[in-house]
Amino acid sequence: MLSSLQPFYEWCGNTALGMWIRDTVWAFPLIETFHLLALAVLLGSVLIINLRILGCGARFASASQLAGDLEPWIRVSIVVGIFSGVLLFMSEPMKCYESYSFPVKMGLIVAGVVFHFTGERKWALGAQGFRSKLAAGVALVLWTGVGLAGKGIPYI
Amino acid sequence: MPWAAGIKESSWKFPLIESIHSLGISTMLWPAAILDMRLLGVVMRRRPVSQVAGQFLPWVWAGFSVMVLTGIVIFCAEAVKCYNSPFFRAKLVLIALAGMNALTFHKTVYRNIEAWDQAAATPFRARMAGALSLLFWIAVVAMGRIVAYA
Repeated sequence: MLSSLQPFYEWCGNTALGMWIRDTVWAFPLIETFHLLALAVLLGSVLIINLRILGCGARFASASQLAGDLEPWIRVSIVVGIFSGVLLFMSEPMKCYESYSFPVKMGLIVAGVVFHFTGERKWALGAQGFRSKLAAGVALVLWTGVGLAGKGIPYI
Repeated sequence: MPWAAGIKESSWKFPLIESIHSLGISTMLWPAAILDMRLLGVVMRRRPVSQVAGQFLPWVWAGFSVMVLTGIVIFCAEAVKCYNSPFFRAKLVLIALAGMNALTFHKTVYRNIEAWDQAAATPFRARMAGALSLLFWIAVVAMGRIVAYA
């Protein structure tokens, strides 16, 4: 990671909030439960909508109808995911600093959120045929990557 | 078991299986939660319950199979840790409760689904089943996290 950011990471770990989460036995698993549920809602919705575009899964509604039904949940899960994620980060920033997975995950989140509010709407739902399937595939890869990179933080 | 020790010691096998187990929550828990919330009248109120169930239950079963398989492998790799954890036992009990709740739902109130399929406000027992299911599965996730860290 960028070594110029090291003081920032250290500062985060020394805040009262970071130390409190670290020193409270149940705080980390509790926040992580919210983080994981947010991922389930987000990735689950992305799967349902984009697999529908790719031609499998929930066929009782069109992809646009499913996307409309699930959009509020996607937004809420992004907010809950970021909020709980910041708390988790504050409690162990040095672990994230040393991890290769962490910057990859942050990059994928930015890409996923930007894509969700730009290309995904325009191509996945707006376009037809190959272009919409490609956009659906990109969304699936980005968010699955977020989940995988997140799981990778303690390991690599 | 030697294969289980190999998984725990390998640099990539354990994280990979754990990742599949975590991502499986999205394919199992969220579709199940959508059905639960339809029963509670929160989402997809205008779609028939039988349609929501028919479309999402295959996801739940597929996801659940993946969860059980990867869960068994994780258990074998960390058997002692799990065995000694009261939270692991609680997790198993909660999964059993969630299963019994779903079974009861299908054997009772779902039997006469025709009568309330289109209704936005479902019968009390259906709402009860939905609420309990949500509660049990969220608790299962929470127990899983506590097993890993506490």
